[in-house]
Amino acid sequence: MVDTHQDPLLATQPPAQPSSNGRRSRVVCSIGLTGLLLLLPLSRPIVGGLYNYVMQVATIALMWVALATSWNLIGGYAGYISLGNNVFFGIGGYLAGALLVYQGWSPFVTALLAGLVGFLVGLMVGLITLRTRGPAFIIATIALLLMAALIFDNWELVGGANGLSLPLPQFPRDWARAPFYLAMLIAAAGSVVLSWKVAHSKLGLGLRALAQDEVKAEVLGIDTKRYKIIAFALSGIFPAVVGAIWGYSLTYLRPSIFFTIGIAAQMVLMAIIGGRATVAGPAVGAILLVTLNEASVSQFGSSELNIVVTGGILIVVLLFFPLGIVGSLRQRGKLPAFLDWD
Amino acid sequence: MNIPQTLILGLVLGGVYALMASGVTLLFGVMRIVNLAHGVFMLLAAYGAFFLFTEWGFDPFLSLIVTMPSMFIFGMVIHRFLFPRLEGSDRYSEMTVLLTFGLALVLEGLLGFFFTGIFRSTSPAYATESILLGDLFIPKGQLYGAVASVVLLLALGALLGYTKIGHAIQATSQNRTAAQTVGVNVSRVSTFAFGVGMALAGAAGSLMSYLFTFFPGQHWQWIAILLSLIVLGGMGSIRGAIVGALLLAVLAGFVSNAFGATWSPMTFYLALFVILLIRPEGLFGEKEAV
Repeated sequence: MVDTHQDPLLATQPPAQPSSNGRRSRVVCSIGLTGLLLLLPLSRPIVGGLYNYVMQVATIALMWVALATSWNLIGGYAGYISLGNNVFFGIGGYLAGALLVYQGWSPFVTALLAGLVGFLVGLMVGLITLRTRGPAFIIATIALLLMAALIFDNWELVGGANGLSLPLPQFPRDWARAPFYLAMLIAAAGSVVLSWKVAHSKLGLGLRALAQDEVKAEVLGIDTKRYKIIAFALSGIFPAVVGAIWGYSLTYLRPSIFFTIGIAAQMVLMAIIGGRATVAGPAVGAILLVTLNEASVSQFGSSELNIVVTGGILIVVLLFFPLGIVGSLRQRGKLPAFLDWD
Repeated sequence: MNIPQTLILGLVLGGVYALMASGVTLLFGVMRIVNLAHGVFMLLAAYGAFFLFTEWGFDPFLSLIVTMPSMFIFGMVIHRFLFPRLEGSDRYSEMTVLLTFGLALVLEGLLGFFFTGIFRSTSPAYATESILLGDLFIPKGQLYGAVASVVLLLALGALLGYTKIGHAIQATSQNRTAAQTVGVNVSRVSTFAFGVGMALAGAAGSLMSYLFTFFPGQHWQWIAILLSLIVLGGMGSIRGAIVGALLLAVLAGFVSNAFGATWSPMTFYLALFVILLIRPEGLFGEKEAV
């Protein structure tokens, strides 16, 4: 039919070996960017009355950077589309929340534990779901999500469908948002570093190979089963971490915050819009969509039409820009250096 | 626990599930399309049947003559517009999952926007009546639904087995390239088959309108149930979908009796995981050619 059709799942050229020049500019770029982001909590004199709003939106954007970047490990590099990765997000949120309520441990500490649990749950679930490939895997991840939603909806210990109220954080009023912002920043940066590390490792090469042709990859001696299970488990770490932070910042937990298919849709959409199987793509997609969403909510209010737009963008991108922003720009050789994180 | 009673209720419900799942499995078998929007298409038809009932007093079974043809046409239009661009993609099935995922979100949002999240259901007289057989009872509504499902499934079987287009569909499903070589217009056959799948969703929606209360966000639950039972039966196999539907509906009935109705959907999800562990290709599926 369309001969020139680009398959986004196969669009992953191995990253070019960075020249020392490119490497230096990348290091300068990332240090500069991180420095700027670290300084955002000090921006009150500049943004004035908008301070809390800016901090909140930035926190949300960083959370989505971590979620979409983590999804990319399994959905992008390995080409195994998961519609259930927000299960890790919820598990992290509930684990840290329950430990706060019943033990009094701060979620900023237990977020690390949440990350570990996310990894272990990913290993266990991956062992089962990754026995299948293609559509059956996607179906298994949907079932996983609905199963988790059902369990948390009916689990009295954590409040069932009504949810669980958390004790309010005791931070100075002027700096109330800063700790959450900084924690999200660390998690988002961590997820990007993890994604870069994976992309530049033997694991990453193996994943790209199996994304292109699993049988051939296996024939070449790549332990595809182990590789994809590890990728799935790694994709569970940071969603659990940001789930812990996010739940604490909301001060209450409810299954509908974490375990909806809408959250899964957003993760997939951000990664695809930005560019699947690239390091920068999911982050770009996350920031873009959060910005768009804020703009549309402030203009039109929040309504059912939001998911119409989400679904509509997904369809348009799939049909017309399957490589996403970063992928399309790279294909044309027009990717600006500050977006070339590979 | 009354075992024969649970068995009867499970079987009549399973008949309806089989009808719902047949459309999904047909599309996968013929075109390798995994249609995540099947649930929302059923809801669309259910809303149609609901308004036909409340505005004009159409019986849900009478509404079949509206929902089936209109969903048939709607399905063909959607297939013509959305799917050709994806063809030739190496991971066609996965791309169709994402595409229909987007479609499902769009339709869910539109349903929510126009009809709000209110729980709805039509209420023909037979929906609440039962037939008594000794100390067993069969709800009339569910029995009618199961009978209608069996009739429609037989009609689907006749269409596939005894008509020219049906043979073309089967040929396409067995080997797309070979079918094309012997002169089957596979792209036209695919569009037709998509329409048939959607007509089945339309029929299921009409039945759903009085069998269940429904609301826009509910379709995820439905599609998860349907997908679980077609994975159980073997993706693409209509026979497998029917067996899967009957098995799981009966099982869900027992689970519901033992642990409460809340947990009955769990049967489907757990069954899915168990079957993936034991036999990833499903009961009637073939091992993927390597």
